[in-house]
Amino acid sequence: MLIITCPFCGPRDEAEFACGGEAHIARPLAENKISDAHFADYLFMRDNPKGLFLERWRHSAGCRRWFNVARDTVSHEIIEIYPMGSLPKKASPKAAYKASWRRDTAAEKAAVRSPNKAGGSK
Amino acid sequence: MANSSNSRPDFSGQAALAGIAGSSSDNPNGGDAGLVFREISHLGKLNLRGDKNLAAAIKAATGCPFPPKANQFQSAGERHVLWLGPDEYLILCEAGKEKQLEDTLASTTKSSQRYAITDVSDSLCALALSGPKTRAVLAKGCGLDLHPSYFPSGDCAQTLLALAGVTLMALADDEFIVICRTSFAPYIQRWLADAALEYGYQFVA
Repeated sequence: MLIITCPFCGPRDEAEFACGGEAHIARPLAENKISDAHFADYLFMRDNPKGLFLERWRHSAGCRRWFNVARDTVSHEIIEIYPMGSLPKKASPKAAYKASWRRDTAAEKAAVRSPNKAGGSK
Repeated sequence: MANSSNSRPDFSGQAALAGIAGSSSDNPNGGDAGLVFREISHLGKLNLRGDKNLAAAIKAATGCPFPPKANQFQSAGERHVLWLGPDEYLILCEAGKEKQLEDTLASTTKSSQRYAITDVSDSLCALALSGPKTRAVLAKGCGLDLHPSYFPSGDCAQTLLALAGVTLMALADDEFIVICRTSFAPYIQRWLADAALEYGYQFVA
């Protein structure tokens, strides 16, 4: 059983938490048309690494808030806990974020507003 | 303290544990019961979403300093404000005073102040626990360290008690309020009675 340190409530039993799966999956914007195959990368494809994994967790029996956890899936060591909407600060989780196959997908590129539509003209 | 909330004379609704009769079991080692517990029926409960800008309004409505620190609650007589999360609080007040409290809050906040307050009195059931074995009984079903040095009076926590989600409040070393979902109340009541068998218990209907 893990002891997970909720950023709001402090260290609590793993049973109080729910794992929300892989973190840092950006939804492609509707304005950026991509193929179904590329959209599937966003919708279905999930990493399952042996080693360091960036995950979302929710303190479901406590404050019910989401946060991110960098966890080693082999040793269960929790390397970093950091807020939603931000990227990890420690070296190894940072490297894991950069190294993810997801960074090069069309789905992730389509999650950013394309420059020629930035003005919102239409 | 909160026990006197039972004094509200006329209530049309049914309390969460209305159908469960009082019961007791003698302390096998002799002496007083290790746990005495009862439902604080119709205790007013309000869920508040907002931030520290509400301090003056909450003080006016409840008398409690606001905001309480993380995992703690503030009290003023029978009224308590519990920390539930970074922008979420639970206000406990005397039975039947929920509307008045909401109105006071509305009249003492500026229209630019944003908050949400929801009456959850009937959604939750509050149990008042006392007796020398209160912490020992709760510790049987809870992963938190309930030693008085780690969970002193004034602390509160949302956690699991026998797999049911509860909010624990330590009023004193041997005095707790346990708040659970109304639908879980009969289960929690029976679980407490069972867990307290070895110390002797009294459930006051």
